[in-house]
Parts: sequence; C-alpha cells; structure tokens
Amino acid sequence: MTSSGSAGGGWRLPRHELAILAATVAVFVITGWLDPNHTYFANWAESRDIILRNTSLLGIIALGASVVIIAGGIDLSAGSMVAFSATTCALVLTLCAAPDDRRLVTVGPAGIAAAVGAAMLSGLLVGTLHTWLITAIRLPPFVATLATLVGLRSFARAMCLFVTKERWGSESQQINVNTPFFAWLKEHNVWIMTGTFLALAIVTWLILSRTVLGRHLYALGGNEQAARLSGIRTENVKWFAYCYGSLTAALAGIFLMADSSVAQPGNLARGYELNAIAAAVVGGCSLQGGVGTVPGTVLGALFLRLVIDAVSKLIKASADVYEGMIVGIIVALAVTFTQVGRRGQAHRLLFSGARGIAAIPTIAIFAALLATMAAANVPAVQGRIGLFGGVVGGITLIALAVIRLLEARRAS
Amino acid sequence: MTPIVAFRGVGKTFPGVVALDGVSFDLRPGECHALCGENGAGKSTLMKLLSGVMGDHVGEILVRGEPVRFRGTREAEAAGIAIIHQELNLVEQLSAAANIFLGRERRTAIGLLDDAAMEREAAELLAELECPVDPRTPAGSLRVGDQQLLEIAKAVSLASDVLIMDEPTSALTDAEVARLDRVIARLRGRGVTILYISHKMDEVFRLADRITVLRDGRVVITVDRSTTTPREVTGWMVGRDIAGHEFHGARSPGPKVLEIRGLTLPWPDHPRGYRLNDVSFELRAGEIVGVAGLMGAGRTELLETIFGVTEPIWTGEILLDGHPVRFAHPAEACAAGIAMVTEDRKRLGLFPDLDVAANVSLCSLSEAVRGGLLSRSREEALVAAPLRETGVKTPGPHAAITGLSGGNQQKCIIGRWLLVKPRVLLLDDPTRGIDVGAKAELYALIDRLCREGLAVILTSSELPELLALADRIIVLSEGRLTAEFPRAAATEQKIMEAATGSTNHARS
Repeated sequence: MTSSGSAGGGWRLPRHELAILAATVAVFVITGWLDPNHTYFANWAESRDIILRNTSLLGIIALGASVVIIAGGIDLSAGSMVAFSATTCALVLTLCAAPDDRRLVTVGPAGIAAAVGAAMLSGLLVGTLHTWLITAIRLPPFVATLATLVGLRSFARAMCLFVTKERWGSESQQINVNTPFFAWLKEHNVWIMTGTFLALAIVTWLILSRTVLGRHLYALGGNEQAARLSGIRTENVKWFAYCYGSLTAALAGIFLMADSSVAQPGNLARGYELNAIAAAVVGGCSLQGGVGTVPGTVLGALFLRLVIDAVSKLIKASADVYEGMIVGIIVALAVTFTQVGRRGQAHRLLFSGARGIAAIPTIAIFAALLATMAAANVPAVQGRIGLFGGVVGGITLIALAVIRLLEARRAS
Repeated sequence: MTPIVAFRGVGKTFPGVVALDGVSFDLRPGECHALCGENGAGKSTLMKLLSGVMGDHVGEILVRGEPVRFRGTREAEAAGIAIIHQELNLVEQLSAAANIFLGRERRTAIGLLDDAAMEREAAELLAELECPVDPRTPAGSLRVGDQQLLEIAKAVSLASDVLIMDEPTSALTDAEVARLDRVIARLRGRGVTILYISHKMDEVFRLADRITVLRDGRVVITVDRSTTTPREVTGWMVGRDIAGHEFHGARSPGPKVLEIRGLTLPWPDHPRGYRLNDVSFELRAGEIVGVAGLMGAGRTELLETIFGVTEPIWTGEILLDGHPVRFAHPAEACAAGIAMVTEDRKRLGLFPDLDVAANVSLCSLSEAVRGGLLSRSREEALVAAPLRETGVKTPGPHAAITGLSGGNQQKCIIGRWLLVKPRVLLLDDPTRGIDVGAKAELYALIDRLCREGLAVILTSSELPELLALADRIIVLSEGRLTAEFPRAAATEQKIMEAATGSTNHARS
C-alpha cells in the first residue's frame, strides 16, 4: 500500500488498482454471461450509457471525497451538498426568469452563468464553513459534516419555499427546470458527464501527485502533527480539501438537476455521500488518511456501479433496494482484503471467545435470509425457497463452526 | 524471611535494545524500596513486567516464593500487586467511585449496579487516604493529586500488599507530596510493601528503607539507605564508561545568533504554574549548546517555544540576530532560518505513507517545481545531496521510509531540515532509540554541520552524548535553569546533581 499511497507520479497502476480492474472486468463478463437477456452484449449502447452516467455522477463526488479522506478528514455532507447546489442553481434561474415563468424557459445566457456560478459558490461557502468548524471550533470532521449533512438539506428546502413564495406568491417544494441549456445538457448527459468526470479525474490526479499542495495533502493525512512541525500551514491545506469536496458535490448537483429537470431538495441525492466514501475506500483510500490514489477511486466508483447494475440485472429487482446491501458488503470485503494484504494478519482469530461463538449463528441467519430472498427469482427452486434458504444457512453454520474448531485447535 | 517479591536474572529485549539484563534483587515484606536510575535505565520496563502490563521476559519473578508470569494486570492484581502509573489510568467521565470499582462493580441482589454501596465504600477508602472528595465527582474533574489517591484507593480496595508507585510526585504540589508521604506511612503501617520509583534524591532518602540503583538495564547495587548518601547514589546512577566520542578542540564559535532572555512559559492548571521559568542563555554560530535535564524538566518545551510550536503565550525575549522574534507557527520559524528535529520521530517527524524522497523534500518542495508541477527528476536531484551528506543507507529515493532503520530515518529527517539551509538547528534527543553505530555517525554529522557554521541546540537524555558533543551545557530542573557549564568543567556527576536538585538536599 505504501507505494500506491506515495505521490510518486507516473501512471503506475500498483497492485490494488490492478486488483479492482481485474474484479471490474470479471463482474462485467460474468454478468453479461449469466444475465438471461445478455443485456451487455445484446443492448450494449444503452447499458454503456447507464453505467457511464451513473459512474460519472458517483465518481465526481468520490473524487472530492478522496481528497478529503487523503487529507485525513471525512465529508459526510456530500449528498446534502448536491441538493443544496441544485436548489441554489434552480433558485437563481427562477430569479433570472420572467416573473410568471414557472418552467424557467425564459432564462438567458447571463442567467444560466449566474445560476451555475452561484451553485459553485455555494460549494465554496460550505467548504469554508466546514474548515472553520474543524480548525477554529475544533469539531471533529465527522461531527462538523454530520451537522451540515442534516442542516444543508433542510436549509435548501426552506430556501426553496421562501424564494418560490416571494417570486410566485405560492410556496413550492420543488422547481421544474426546463431551461433550454439544461435540456441540452440532459440530452447529451452521458458524454458531457463522462467527459467532465475524466477531466476532473485528471485535474485531481495532477494536484495530488504533481503539486506541492498535493504532497502537503498526503503529509497532512499521514501525520498531521509532523506536517505542522514541518512548517506546513495545515489549516490552509484543510481548507482546500474541504472546499474541493464541496465543490465536486456542487458540480454533481448541477448535473443531477439538469438530468432530472427538477430541483427537489427534499429527496435529491439522499445517501450519495456514503456511496462516494465507499467508492474511495474500495479504491484504496484509507480512512486513517494519507493513502489513496485517483486511479483507485475512479476504478472504485466504476466497480461499485457495475456490481449494483449486475445485481439488478441478475435478481431482476430494482437496483436501489439492493444498493445499500451491496455497497456495505463490498466495502467490508475490500477493506478486509487490503488489511490482510498490508500485513499478514494470518494468525488473527476470526471467532475467538464468546463473541466469536455469537457471530457464527448471526452470519448464518443473515446468509439464510439472503438466500431465501434471492431464491425467489431462481426458477429451479420455485416452491422450495424456504428449504433452499435453510440449507444455505445450515451450510454456512457448519462451515463457520469448522473454522472455529480449527482455530481453537491452532490456538491451543 | 521469604522476600515478598524476588527478581532472579530478569531480562527483557526489545528489537535492537536490551532494556533489562540479569536483574536480581528482593523486596522484603513491609519495606519501602526505592528504585533509582536515569531515564531509560529500565525502571519502567521492570515495573511493567512485575505488574503484568508487559510479558515475555527471561529469568524469574517470584512472588511469596512462587514463580509467576502474569499475562495481564488482572492476574497481577489477583496476586496482590498493584501499580500506580505515572500517567494515571482513569476513565475521566466516570465518577470516583465507579473508577475505584471499575471491572468489579458491586451489584444488588437482582444484578443491577449498586451505586450506593460503591459510593459508601469509596467514601470510606478516600477518607482514610485524606482525600476529601465526593465519590460521585467525575474523575476527570479531580486534581492530579486526588486522581492519584483514587488509584491508590483502588489498590487498597483490592487488598494489594505490594504497591508500585512510578514517580508519583511528578505533578504534585508540596502539600500533596506531604499528604502522599503520610498515606505511604499509613499503608506501611498495615504491612503493605512499597516499591517507589524515583530519581528525586530528597524523596528517596525521606521514604526508602533500601535503595536499588539500575543503570543500562542492570542492577548496580542494592543498599540500605542509612549506609549511603544522595551524592553516592547519583554517582551510581551515571557512573558508566563514557563511550569514546570526543570532538574536542578546533571548534571556534562565531557571532551570537540566538539569545534567550528570561523565558517563562506558563502552565495553567498545574500546581507548578510554569513549564519554563526565567531561562536565559545564548547560542553562537558554530557552537553546540547542550540541554540536560530529566524527564519533564522542560527540554522539549524550550525547543518548541523557540520554534513556535505552541501558542506564543510565553514571556521574556527571544532574539534572533539581535531582533526580537515571536513565532506563532513553525512555518514562521522555518522562514527565519530555524529548523527543528523533533523528539518522537514516529509521532512527530515521519510520514510513513510517503517514500524516502518525499520525506526529505517536504519542507523545500518549491525547489522541485517546474512549470507549476512537481518534477520527479528535480525532486530526486534535490534530495540526492542531503541523502549523501547525511549518509542515509536506502535502496533508492523511492523506497518506503518505514523500511529504513531508526538511524537512517533520523538522518532523513535531519536531511529534510538541511535542505531549508537553516542557521539554527534544534535537535531534540536525536539519537533516542538508535543503535550505537548509527549514533556515532550522527555525532560525526552534527559535529561537521556545526563546524560549517550551524548553531545547534541539542537536548539529550544521555549525558555522555552531551559531554561528547556540546561546547556548553545548560541544565534544566523542573523548568528552571539550574546550572551552566563549559564543557571542560562539566561532569556527569555535576550535571546529575543540578538536574535532580540533589545539591540542595545532599545532607538532608
């Protein structure tokens, strides 16, 4: 990990990145093959567009999350920041449109520029607020950004009600955006978003691996006290990191607003922050700080979206139901593997003591429930899904018990 | 009479360091036994073995004649051995009573916590120890002296008959010290054996029946207090052969670079009230001033104050080239030509995730920039000189810094600071945890840098190091400058006496 964390420069793809790349390709091929409709091969263009669009949206936020995480912090507010930025953008459009234009079609180029500018500025403001809370008030980053995670969304909703009331005389929870420019953005969303994502990835990569600031970000995350004692103005570096995190979320907010033709602060981008952090962690960023790469994060975002897509294709359920579960399992597995790879923790016991014994049936119960639900979509076991789940749970129980016994023997 | 605790050839090795080697001595039931030694003599390691904090030693520890090998403090406590650590082990948010009974809480008949019973018992225990605090007070809001008595109350409630106290007076006021003395006398009255670790001669001679002196992990001697003097004990603590590093002669100090006048650094919420008190000295170009002092004397604080690490709440004057300076951030000190190599390399100096080159270039990265971007080749060229000059042995500039030995890591950090071309170099215990060969190389490097005109302030926990390298030595004791010697006049004995304050108590 040391080598992938170090800001050496050059497009070296170290072990971790290669592993995700291989896993990504494997998931792609396996899904294409197992999927009864073979969507990836039969309907390549549409699949490609969906994956690119989703990956780009997640990836843009994940790049900002990576910078914050590498600098030793965490930004939980990204999802609310997306909503806040989208709302800001839509509200400025509202104010620039004709007073009775509720579809916002009458906004000129100056109004569009002002709206986009205001959305990005909102990112800058939130990033500055985070830095102040963290460096001056000395809140832990987790607390500071948790506060804005909750606060910003509510603030955006209040702002939406206030401005619509003032402008149109009646309150509205959402603003429809049919401005031609954003409609055009929506029409070409795949390529514009993918292009933006890749450009942003290159810029982020340049900053992290080829600038003094980037080196200071790694130093700050790796050892904050030593960084300060080396004469690095750590507060300024943090300021950059948190602003970068908020700005990328603000950018994603503009795209998401254009894409859905509506700014609805109540529900827009809920939970996006956790997916972004997950993509960064799967990509090799360490939540301890100081470790992580841009190629890793890009691949982490792609891998995460691909697996979510794959499961929705194979189980035929709507992706968002399973999304959280998939992200959770992947993050746990990815971090486990990096840790095992980092230092051979071969002789750490998985199921020691009473806690270990309690963990075995816990895992077995989850496995049984999951298998039962998954079986509902498999024709071969129709009518016997309960039995199928029970068997899977039983096998898991026995397998873990055997591991426990082997460990007990080795320990004695 | 069977000794209550007996050490028989106890040894303990850490990677690269022998901490204890063949330590043998006895504790007699009911005595107060003082364990003396310099920083790093092995006192704390020995106590950690006895109290079960650390395991894995060679030799035998016998408790009441039975060999023991504790695998945790619980086992030691069960055998009647309790330790009061220098850094207290309390859960600050929990009440005094809850801390005393942590892990063995009293319960009511139906299994709920019996706070009333615990508070009643705690109140009795604390009253007995002259500690008039409400058992319901959160431990964190108590004064340090009371917190310590809380730990002692815990030991008493465990019915411990061996109590280890690791430098218990380091944070106490005089009144609290007197109270502690009375508590110790009372515990001894009940037959508790006390093992008292200290390097303060006045305490040792006030309390102990017998004294064991440790030096470099070995027992020098165990004597009755009545047959020795503080001066003799101090001599045993330091009296080793000085390793053959001598750089005498030909260093010729130039003009005055740094002058410290009446430097006082307050220490709010501490009985002493200050970390440094009225410290004055000067430093010339091409000169090494050594700062001696025991743990907690204020050596690190002195360097940190000069370097602008802590908030500038100090009074007095720091003059750099005759101009008063007051740095609020290390970046300012760095820009003014001051560099500092910190004491705790792992915690305050190294960036474990960055490679060797990045660790060295960190403070002078702007020199490796071409067209706004860092240039890999420029960075390699930049770090080549310091890596060569300091003699770092590394497989290459992009090797992992964590793969290097401690000595080579330290050379990298010195190299980092040489790149900013400082005029004043502050070295805080630079050879701690470094093997002998690397030490000699570092000494030669520091000597050479100094001859090239660098002004150096060097602190060290090892007196021979200061005697070998420094042109002058100042001694700090509890934040005060107690002595200043030119090298020719300095001896380990004199420095140790000034550092322990034993000159004042030599005949007590």
